[in-house]
Amino acid sequence: MSPRREKLTSPQTRIALARGNRPAQHLLPIPGPVDTEAARKLFHAQRRTAVRTVALLTVLLFGVSGAFAAFPVLGHVRLGGVPLSWLLLAAGIYPLLFGLALWHVRSAERVERRAAREAPRRDEDPGRKR
Amino acid sequence: MTSVLAIGLVLVTSLVIGVYGVRAARSTSDFLVASRRVSPNWNALAIAGEYLSAASVLGLSGLLLKNGLGTMWYAVGFAAGYVAVVALVAGPMRRSGAFTVPDFAEYRLGAPRLRKLCGLVVLVIMLLYLVPQFKGAGVVLSLVSGTPYWVGVLLAGVVVSGSIAAGGMRSATYVQAFHYVVKLAFIAVPAIYLVVHAGPETRAEALNPEWGTHFPEATPVEFTVDTDFSLDEPVTVTTPSGDGVELSAGEHTVGQGTEYVFPEGATIPHPDGLPELGSERWSTPLLDVGGYPLFETWSTLLAITFGCMGLPHVIMRFHTSPTARTARRVAVGVIALLGLFYLFPMVYGLLGRVLTPQLVLLQGTDTVAVVLPAQAVPGSVGTVLTALVAAGAFGAFLSTSSGLLLALAGGLSHDLFQGSVPRLRLAVVVGAGVAVLLALPAQMIDINVLVVWAFTVAASTFCPLLVLGIWWRRLTLAGAASGLAVGAVTATGAVGWSILFTTPAGWVTVLLAQPAAWTIPLAFGTMMAVSGLTRPPDWAEHAVLRLHSP
Repeated sequence: MSPRREKLTSPQTRIALARGNRPAQHLLPIPGPVDTEAARKLFHAQRRTAVRTVALLTVLLFGVSGAFAAFPVLGHVRLGGVPLSWLLLAAGIYPLLFGLALWHVRSAERVERRAAREAPRRDEDPGRKR
Repeated sequence: MTSVLAIGLVLVTSLVIGVYGVRAARSTSDFLVASRRVSPNWNALAIAGEYLSAASVLGLSGLLLKNGLGTMWYAVGFAAGYVAVVALVAGPMRRSGAFTVPDFAEYRLGAPRLRKLCGLVVLVIMLLYLVPQFKGAGVVLSLVSGTPYWVGVLLAGVVVSGSIAAGGMRSATYVQAFHYVVKLAFIAVPAIYLVVHAGPETRAEALNPEWGTHFPEATPVEFTVDTDFSLDEPVTVTTPSGDGVELSAGEHTVGQGTEYVFPEGATIPHPDGLPELGSERWSTPLLDVGGYPLFETWSTLLAITFGCMGLPHVIMRFHTSPTARTARRVAVGVIALLGLFYLFPMVYGLLGRVLTPQLVLLQGTDTVAVVLPAQAVPGSVGTVLTALVAAGAFGAFLSTSSGLLLALAGGLSHDLFQGSVPRLRLAVVVGAGVAVLLALPAQMIDINVLVVWAFTVAASTFCPLLVLGIWWRRLTLAGAASGLAVGAVTATGAVGWSILFTTPAGWVTVLLAQPAAWTIPLAFGTMMAVSGLTRPPDWAEHAVLRLHSP
């Protein structure tokens, strides 16, 4: 027997649908961080990590394609019969992309763990978790 | 026939897994709770399965054959897009609780009216993305079964909208995961077989494009459209009536319906406006269509890498992870799966130049992956290999267009109109109908050109909205709305103009065909400038900080 189907919508869509065409009477329920100062610090740390990753991604993509344009010799040097530039583009770049993403995740999680460790000391509210 | 059977088998298996998968996923009260039981590995497989579209399975090898090695930058961009997703949106989007961009806009800017604008942009992106999928289905079906192109397109529309309306593959993570495996296996196995079977001579020829490109055997070429091409050396071709025709070196124009048999060993004529097969321009790994290779490559990379995070069906997928942390990790897994897949399309393009170069003359390079196996391996093995690739391509088309059509229908029924479930069904049918109508005249447009168009629009609209919304506290409603409008109009208009009208060669053409390099900064700039003129609400900072609190 198959269970009854349910219509699945995100919380934001439910709010929007329930409101219908009436203008927003009250603002969306945004649960604010208890400790604004700590949240700001975490936000800035995460933004630094994100900027670093995007910058490295840009350097990687533009750098490799720029190298192909600047050094045509990459297309003439061969490794096992295959032009070096083809090898780089077809296979070499993916491990680098993967490594970059992995590094970002590690850094972002480290930032989050540090924030979680510091939270109890900064926060005097005993009811707060973590 | 074998191919039709193989496609049928993929379809039936998908339906069977779908029926059981949907049951498993719907048995708990909440979609999110259900998806918590799906392991991150399955989830990554499913995301990759949905993401690898006809553009990856058919389009990449076809465009490589036609335009050269630079095409592989598309593949790199598709994978690099997920690095940007990991870095910029995966975690915060999961925390926002928003399934779609309109949802996010409402959370972050508190404006229901922005929903309509976002809904319109979703519509444009999804249609641009759906049309090439249907085109791929039409081309593959007409190749393996001999039906006219329009039959395949129409059938594709009916199958996809029918399967969604009948119950859907919506939460069937396992179907999408199955499709990844189908796509990888069905493109990798024939590729490896072809490389091994091709023999040292063909392999060397594929890796040494400077040896020139010749017809591997006497090849009949039937021009389906008026074609301009040029010849480096004179060649004697045969017409169907058996007469020899001497074509001199230089420019030629042949009318639609002309049929020539080119002799074995003749150099491939090169059609107007395309790089000569195997020339320096072809084998340099940069995108060079309009004469500014580095600019074109960078602009395309920007479009694809930043477009990825703005694609509605990509964003929806973060919510199949239970936490922001898992969402990020799953996205990393997707990069590995994409990188593995993208090792193979190149094989078809490189071998295609040696074994099926006439496809360039026929303007049918998108079919190379399906045509090549039968050409390279005559007999029953070739038939089976063709069947595998065709079924893989069909799986690609099926899973991607189902996800796209649902995002499109969701946008239509929730954001543009007040919708209910019957309306959603209607929206699916309407969306598929419009996409089919648009796909009919699109037979001659390359799959990847259309897909990158969709990415460009996404990169110039939703990418700035999400990036600024997540990382910049001072974004305001007016800023977001004006940036979205500017980005949508310029990106859609520029590429559309370059496809519909011919423009003088040079910078104008390149800037219109690859507009991401100016439309993305323009959209970001507009959003920031207009936001600077208006005041964000008091709670804006809380909305942003909330996205980053674990």
